Amino acid sequence: MSNLEALLRKQSAIVDHEEDFEKINQLFYERGWGDGLPVVPPTVPRVERMLEYCDRPWHEPIAKIAPRYGEATPLRLAANAVMAGCRPEYFPLVMLAIEAMCEESFNLYAVQATTHSCAPLVVVNGPVAQELNIHSGHAAFGPGAWSNATIGRAIRLALINIGGAVPGNGDMATYGSPAKFSYCAAENEAASPWEPLHVERGYAADTSTVTVISAEGPHNVNDHESTNAEGILKTIAGTVATTGNNNVRNAQSDPVILVGPEHAATIAADGYSKRDVKRYLFEQARIPLNRFAAENIERRIAVKIRAESPESGVYIPAARSADDFIVVVIGGAGKHSAFIPTFGHGRSVTRPLRTNDGLLAKSVQEFRRNSQ
Amino acid sequence: MVELRKRGLLTAVICSDTFRHLAQSQARVFGAPDLPLITIQHPLGGLSLDAVGGRAGSAIGQTVDLIRDYIR
Repeated sequence: MSNLEALLRKQSAIVDHEEDFEKINQLFYERGWGDGLPVVPPTVPRVERMLEYCDRPWHEPIAKIAPRYGEATPLRLAANAVMAGCRPEYFPLVMLAIEAMCEESFNLYAVQATTHSCAPLVVVNGPVAQELNIHSGHAAFGPGAWSNATIGRAIRLALINIGGAVPGNGDMATYGSPAKFSYCAAENEAASPWEPLHVERGYAADTSTVTVISAEGPHNVNDHESTNAEGILKTIAGTVATTGNNNVRNAQSDPVILVGPEHAATIAADGYSKRDVKRYLFEQARIPLNRFAAENIERRIAVKIRAESPESGVYIPAARSADDFIVVVIGGAGKHSAFIPTFGHGRSVTRPLRTNDGLLAKSVQEFRRNSQ
Repeated sequence: MVELRKRGLLTAVICSDTFRHLAQSQARVFGAPDLPLITIQHPLGGLSLDAVGGRAGSAIGQTVDLIRDYIR
């Protein structure tokens, strides 16, 4: 019997038939442990294999996950990563993303409990994306990639099982979201004409990071006709400027513009930097005040404040400044981009991948216990 | 609110009935399982101001009872 198995038996944390797929899934479903899809039974050997890629003490919480404020220990996170189907080498990113979204500025309590349909979107940058084959091109948001699908799912399972985001209780989303099963992709840095997200935020290009953003699912922007930057950006701006999205309505707005590589190439060819793109969208993604209902203007604080701002006049911008727009290049071939509306009550967080001694990790292999 | 409660002040949270379960869970999580909850009918959003007034009215009786119990 391994040390972990002995410990779990002492805590009565081992169930009978733990390797019986059907029985375990029935049991977990009845207890509300999961997302509705079958899970991989988190047997002791599987959890131990997951923890091989963890260089921290297994019982020391790395964060507390709202709204239950359950302690996210590596052991618990590893069980959820097994359930999600993660390969063990994915585990450092699962831990990193959980840490990032538990930073206060992210406002995870509200993200989890809100009636809005947001879910934490995880964007991976740097060399780890290639190392783990995290897709950034065609179908980056699925289906198909083991890493994207299971890293995102492990995070979601941890949010439910440790954080208590149980639908109708800790998660009050009016209608939920497919993004609440899994929402993870890498930025397509190779296809981007601009500096990637993590470089924009002060990290070296060879640093691996995750950025977590409280986001709705992507809303497609189709533009097969424009042959220049302004044409494409006008189409994107028109898609952003809609009255019902949270970015227009809330104070901490950080709308995500996912630019497809073909659109990005056309925009950059006209000399637009990423900063120029943001400035254009801030200035053009605005809604005439008369498109809002009178009660919306009177009662929605953000709309009211922006309506009263001498800068905005009778047009309501989708954010408070150009810098608040998040621009990333994700996707493969095709004349498509996307507007990803965000929650608007909290800030996105970027965190670098570091080993337990605080050094930047060049590879997930540095987290292996037997590599020390 | 829980911090105020722990300091011995009379406190309460107003929540709509749909969110009562979440509010109870949160009170437990923060170590104040007996935190009084003043419950109003859901929803609160999308109502006329008169209807909002009605919700407030339904909370008054509960608030008065709470204060009365506290004074006793």
